[in-house]
Amino acid sequence: MIDAPRATVARLVGGRRGTIAGATVAVLVALGALGLLFPASPAGILARAVFAAGTVASALRLSVPIALAALGGIFAEKSGVINIGLEGLLIVAAFAAVYAMDVTDSLVVAFLAGVLASTLLAGLFAVVCIEFRADQIIAGLAVWLIALGLAPFASQVIYEAPNTDSVRTVPTVPELVGSLPSAGDLPVRTDPPTLGVGVLDAVLAVVVGLLGRVVLFVAEVLLASSLSVYLMVLAVVLSWYVLYRTRFGRWVHASGENPKALDTAGVRVDRVRYAAVLLSGVLSGLGGAALSLGLGQFTGNGATMVNGKGFIAIVAYLFGNYNPVGAFLSTLLFAGLQAVQNPLQLADIGVPDPLIRITPFVMVVVVLALVGRTRLPDAAGEHYESGEE
Amino acid sequence: MSVRDRARRALQRLVEASATERALISLASLAASILVGAGIVLVAGRTATCEEAAFVLATPRPFGVPELASAGFCYDPVAVFDRLFLGALGDPASPGWDPLNGRMATTLRETAVLVFTGLSVALAFRAGVFNIGTQGQLVVGALATAVAVLWAATFVAGVVGTVVLVPFGVLVGAAFGGLYGAIPGALKAYADANEVVTTIMLNFIASGVALYLVRSVFKDPASPANQTIPLPDHALFPPLLFAPQFGVSILALLFGLLAAGGVFVLLRRTVFGYDLRASGLQPAAAEYGGVDARRTVVASMTLSGALGGIGGAVYVLMVLGKFQTDVPAYGFDGITVAILAGNNPLGVALAAFLFGVLKSGTTVVQFATDVPPQLVGVLRGLIILFVAMPEFFRLLGRRVLPRNRAGGDAVAADGGSEPDGTDSRRGEEP
Amino acid sequence: MTTPAVEFRDVTKRFSGVVANDGVSMSVEAGSVHALLGENGAGKTTLMNVLYGLYEPDEGTIHVRGDPRSFDAPRDAIDAGVGMIHQHFMLVDDMTVVENVTLGNEPGRWPLLDGIADHAGALATRAGIHVGAGPLGRRVAAVAERAAPAVDGDSARESVVELGERYGFDVDPDAVVEDVSVGVRQRVEILKALYRGADILVLDEPTAVLTPQEVEDLFSVLEELTARGKTVIFITHKLGEAMTAADAITVLRGGRNVGTVPAEATTREELAELMVGREVLLDVDRRPATPGEVVLEVADLAVTDDRGVRAVDGVSFDARGGEIFGIAGVDGNGQAELVEAITGLRTPESGRIRVDGREVTDESRRDRIDAGMAYVPADRQERGLVMAFDLVGNGVLGGQHGAPFARGGRMDWERAGDHARAVLAAYDVRPPDPTATAASLSGGNQQKFVVGRELERDPSLLVAAHPTRGVDVGSIEFIHDRLLSLRDEQVCTLLVSSKLEEVRTLSDRLAVINEGEFVDTVDPDAVTEEQLGLLLAGERPDNVSSTAAVTATRTGGDGNR
Repeated sequence: MIDAPRATVARLVGGRRGTIAGATVAVLVALGALGLLFPASPAGILARAVFAAGTVASALRLSVPIALAALGGIFAEKSGVINIGLEGLLIVAAFAAVYAMDVTDSLVVAFLAGVLASTLLAGLFAVVCIEFRADQIIAGLAVWLIALGLAPFASQVIYEAPNTDSVRTVPTVPELVGSLPSAGDLPVRTDPPTLGVGVLDAVLAVVVGLLGRVVLFVAEVLLASSLSVYLMVLAVVLSWYVLYRTRFGRWVHASGENPKALDTAGVRVDRVRYAAVLLSGVLSGLGGAALSLGLGQFTGNGATMVNGKGFIAIVAYLFGNYNPVGAFLSTLLFAGLQAVQNPLQLADIGVPDPLIRITPFVMVVVVLALVGRTRLPDAAGEHYESGEE
Repeated sequence: MSVRDRARRALQRLVEASATERALISLASLAASILVGAGIVLVAGRTATCEEAAFVLATPRPFGVPELASAGFCYDPVAVFDRLFLGALGDPASPGWDPLNGRMATTLRETAVLVFTGLSVALAFRAGVFNIGTQGQLVVGALATAVAVLWAATFVAGVVGTVVLVPFGVLVGAAFGGLYGAIPGALKAYADANEVVTTIMLNFIASGVALYLVRSVFKDPASPANQTIPLPDHALFPPLLFAPQFGVSILALLFGLLAAGGVFVLLRRTVFGYDLRASGLQPAAAEYGGVDARRTVVASMTLSGALGGIGGAVYVLMVLGKFQTDVPAYGFDGITVAILAGNNPLGVALAAFLFGVLKSGTTVVQFATDVPPQLVGVLRGLIILFVAMPEFFRLLGRRVLPRNRAGGDAVAADGGSEPDGTDSRRGEEP
Repeated sequence: MTTPAVEFRDVTKRFSGVVANDGVSMSVEAGSVHALLGENGAGKTTLMNVLYGLYEPDEGTIHVRGDPRSFDAPRDAIDAGVGMIHQHFMLVDDMTVVENVTLGNEPGRWPLLDGIADHAGALATRAGIHVGAGPLGRRVAAVAERAAPAVDGDSARESVVELGERYGFDVDPDAVVEDVSVGVRQRVEILKALYRGADILVLDEPTAVLTPQEVEDLFSVLEELTARGKTVIFITHKLGEAMTAADAITVLRGGRNVGTVPAEATTREELAELMVGREVLLDVDRRPATPGEVVLEVADLAVTDDRGVRAVDGVSFDARGGEIFGIAGVDGNGQAELVEAITGLRTPESGRIRVDGREVTDESRRDRIDAGMAYVPADRQERGLVMAFDLVGNGVLGGQHGAPFARGGRMDWERAGDHARAVLAAYDVRPPDPTATAASLSGGNQQKFVVGRELERDPSLLVAAHPTRGVDVGSIEFIHDRLLSLRDEQVCTLLVSSKLEEVRTLSDRLAVINEGEFVDTVDPDAVTEEQLGLLLAGERPDNVSSTAAVTATRTGGDGNR
């Protein structure tokens, strides 16, 4: 049996993808080292900004919509339907979730509403592509443009402005449970126990100090993260399992690589594709809902609050080679870039705001230019008709 | 067969379907979109709050049967579409209609810009490149035009100024838009980067950079908005027939028509056009025929970007008289225009007018019925969606007209005689 | 007499008026190998697709093991124990052998639950309760297995390994399909059918893509299968194979069954006559060649394929004006890459190419066209024609950059139209309508148009890859005549074909390519069939008259065969 994770690692490490991933790790390590050695230098400030728990937490928060949409995109594209309309799915979900929250004040209903809206739109896209053989790229583009018009339209109808009213946001675990300390309340360091033997105490102090820092760091990040982040991590793991360990995952793969092989093996290709596209709607719906509920408002001006996240998701999963974990990691890379900007601006070594906001987009272009052709599933983008000879 | 080739084959179906069928599908799509749009307006009318219903749907009451149900709607879809189309032309049916009225002016103003963005998308499409980046190319062209003309306007004045400055502005717009279009072209040709994604990213980048530049370098100190210093009147397209405040110029419109004709001749009559069409339809065959695929991609994207840039120049020199951030989505409308026109340059002119009606109509609609103007955004997407699925209308046609052999039966395989099986592909074309 | 495994009774199948199968009746004995022999277009594949449920017959019935059956879809055929191994393998390239074999029928497993169930089962057994042993329990277990979402990888692997061992297949279950040879892929396909419980196996042209050694391996696999009671039907157009591998042979011609004969009681001549309906002797009127100057020089050429694997490795040869230099080989041995490198569609890794003494290795495709190179590509629908263009547009493809079709960057469509009409008339392309799109033509007519366009280019070098592929017999003769008369006009022709007869009869010198290398260059008239077979497999027999060096004018006398 092919060991999927190992194969993926091998593929990721090879080629330009590997070079970029390696370079990222190397830069982070170098930055950390420089920061430790020269804490007062710009590198030191940058290092503190990058390795702050707040930065990591906000990188995770920013990742949620992108990563969830990317997971959805993986299912659709692996099954042979290129879903370039992820952006549109995020937009309708973001609006629907806020509206439902406003009406019901229930987090669960709000998320469900987001998922429902997105899945309906994905269903429309699926019918158009699978039943009516539309060109997938054009239909996906239409999905995006429809959502781009529909959500602000609906907002205008209901709230008489492209932006909705504010609603409750997704809580963090401490906010939900109430009895846990919240993110800022953790001690900064842990005091090691003393044994009374000088050498041992010194060693213990170093070990506990280091370990304690790591544990505290992780705890800090977890406590600062909203439930959406947990949802995302769960979705990444589940998606990985479904794709690599289940029958459905196999079928999705075969449906994208050689639909005829699947068809002649007795599995209905169109059903697999419908399921995969609807799943992309569900996942994007979660992402869109998490995005707007994270801020408590839907903003519909210009490119809306989704503002290209669906397209970044596409690049994330291409760069992650259709592997959920890979897609998640590349999402973190894009989101991390954005997350360091706030502390940097506070530290006053920032770049003008409009330029900062385009960095992820520039990054995407650079990544695409370097990675170049990604190996799409063989039959992606192509209509399949059963029984065709 | 690579994925790209397959994708192109799908494009080919769209581009090379017979002209009549294409026109029919476009019209049907427009009608279907408007129908769906009416549905959306109805639904929205239930959701919105208003003093009294503008439109009431009730079950019929034959023979004095009490009414079963009735529903009031805030928006009357019939009125909406009446305003949308007739309003956009300034009510041509009403007595005393002046073809040079303000609504008509708005419609033609939108048309003049849309012709260029539509041509931009269509030209790239014919070369097999999906340029979603016309918006960005337009923004870049518009800003460059505004800045360059502002600078040049200090040297010349009067009619001579107009004669010099307008072509100069258009050239600058074309050059910058072209360069900005060449970037994704080169990335596609030499780094194999998917142009759909890169052009979308470059749209975001263009508006970000434009915002930065306007805010910190070219800002008009006299205005609170993010805009450049207004251009002098002699640097703008002369309005001629229309009143100047309408922001429309017959000259620009004629220029647009000329451009459409030019692109048509380019595609049909020149070697470059032949190469472009061949590589758009079937890159492997074009390469076989001695076409340099990479150069063609870069050249067509440059040309496409230049058309988008000219759109930006027209926007600045005719509509606005300055550059302002938050440029309307002419580039995305251009996609709809191109697709509606089946990527035929002459069709683009017509489709641009149709879409100009929609755009100017929505503002009339907002005045008259309170329906938000974002409706046109929805229609934009719906039209693309419907044009993308000709199969839908074929099926519909088959249902409505049975035995009409709409679409035709696929020619089945030729007895499997081909050792390489290539011929069986014929069966795929519906 | 035993019940036949498969019996066709008066099966007729038409495609928009064209009769592909015309009242075919035939019966296949269980446990035998049955060859279905016929020329291209005789209706063999159609008949088998009817059996497999891909087509519904217009008339007639099919009986499987005596029962009349009708299959709406391949699934029904699979359920009835009919498995088909298509010419193009239905495999997912980046999956492993096990994954491919079990695709769609993966053994299922409940994640987490299985462990608990096993545990509970063990406890229950210890307590004296036998869960799942009764009929209800078994049914519940079966349903649970079918509905289980996860793949039971171990059990899948086990059953594939077990299957492979039973039939003596040498297949690594964990290999990824794209890494294994064509012969192995074919065995994976057979395993797939067996895994689904097929006991009637249909193989469509199974030897077309195999080397002679692989063909032999395949035949022993077929023997093994019939020894274990399976029935095999294989489609072929090669007489020799049918006679070697089959127990009985049915010959189809023009969609009709023209006779079923036992393999041991027939002769090649009898089969050939049944196949073609007349005595077959490719009769080419070939005068002796008068080779002139060297036109094409290839030195030490190495070319990689799309996957980065070296497909052509150190090939060198010269071809002269006035001769046809043939390249024979089993498909996929580097011919395609070699041709693409010479014609400028693929950049070679190393080596040189000269045309008329001029180095063209780094020149573009367009430069080579301008230098007088004509090229009939192997894939007319992908390369040779823009399918959506009309024939006027296609007639100038390759010549659009200069006179006579373009001047100053403008196309001269009038002249292009005249040209297209001329080619249509000269090469008997039907329908002779220059405004028809290339896509609307049949495959054979498309081929004639491409050949006509290229041959009328007045080339000094012609590269022709499979020039008569898919073309009817009459047109084949016409194209062969044209190739020979071009030769007599001192054109240098490089001819690549997988039809051995074709390259042998037309070529003046014949190179044999195997795994990207020229095994030898021989005199096609002097080499025997056995010798050629060995060369194709990459072995060099002892007594071949090698003509690797360019010889002077070959003495005539053997031109007519």
